[in-house]
Amino acid sequence: MTGHIHWANEVPDDWPAVLAELTRAFQLSRRAAQDEESFAYVVRQDDLLGRSGSGNAIIACGLLSAARTAALEGARKGWTANVVAYDDESDRSAAEQWARRLLEAGDVNGELIRVGSGHIGKTLA
Amino acid sequence: MIGTIVVTGAARGIGRAIAEKMASTGPLTVVGVDVAPELALSESITPVQIDLTSDDGPSVVREAVEASGAPLVGLVNNAGITRDARLVNMADDDFAAVLEVNLGAAYRLTTELAPLMSDGGSVVNIASRAYLGNFGQFNYSMSKGGVVGMTRAMALSLAPHVRVNAVAPGLISSEMSMAIPNDIREKMVESIPLDRMGTPDEIANTVWWLLTPLSSYITGEVIVVGGGRSLT
Repeated sequence: MTGHIHWANEVPDDWPAVLAELTRAFQLSRRAAQDEESFAYVVRQDDLLGRSGSGNAIIACGLLSAARTAALEGARKGWTANVVAYDDESDRSAAEQWARRLLEAGDVNGELIRVGSGHIGKTLA
Repeated sequence: MIGTIVVTGAARGIGRAIAEKMASTGPLTVVGVDVAPELALSESITPVQIDLTSDDGPSVVREAVEASGAPLVGLVNNAGITRDARLVNMADDDFAAVLEVNLGAAYRLTTELAPLMSDGGSVVNIASRAYLGNFGQFNYSMSKGGVVGMTRAMALSLAPHVRVNAVAPGLISSEMSMAIPNDIREKMVESIPLDRMGTPDEIANTVWWLLTPLSSYITGEVIVVGGGRSLT
């Protein structure tokens, strides 16, 4: 596997903590882009829906938007950026497997893969 | 509507159009953060000049709202900047500046003012169509995605008393879009089904609708105002 998997950390509803977590993702992403390597963010489905506080929602939705934008750059260079979201009923290992699959595939880019079925009937991210 | 509405980034473009619309619409007091000098002369507008990313920025706005003597019925988080670069070349300072202004200021101000919001109040966050992805805007796109996340979380936490929604403008005729090189901007317009840039007034109209009871059953949503660009 070539590439990086970035797990979003849980944060409190506190701006400095949120900014620190987003900065951690930025620095990993920039390094990957400079090395022309793919990356995948892993977030929680509940956070995409804003169900676990503002801080975690900002992180999850911010990472999704960042991946979509990075994917446009990666498309020109041959690397990808994607997001995997997992729900309470799916375990983290399933999310990890999907992230690895995305890194290896190379033909899925700027996409959100949602593991589990908790997202059905909810808003599109 | 009767009461006070706070609009940030009201010096130009979309924020100015929003402040003008609010000030001309009814018995409202508009607390405008960073207001155009001409607007500051209006009796309906209370200008506040403060850096919203500073430690005391949100509390200064809160004091202005309390001094207005009217209930806080609306908040429009509009202030925003760009510092574009490809991800591989993006500087730490440019990343942090965009996140602080576009997201941190909105988050901190909303947290500060939420306890003052009256029952039935409405918060409108100005996101951007860039939250769906936009080349060369890793920082901006992340900040606007964060605004979307904040919108959803606060819609849940402030319900049922206060509604929280976001507006995501596409290419709007403003100083920000005029900074885009002509040839690139023309290509962008060619990809818009409605075949033109939007106007700040068109965003202000959508914001106004979300602030009023006309949208009373809508919360936690993102409304893209982009001329159909998201389809092409």
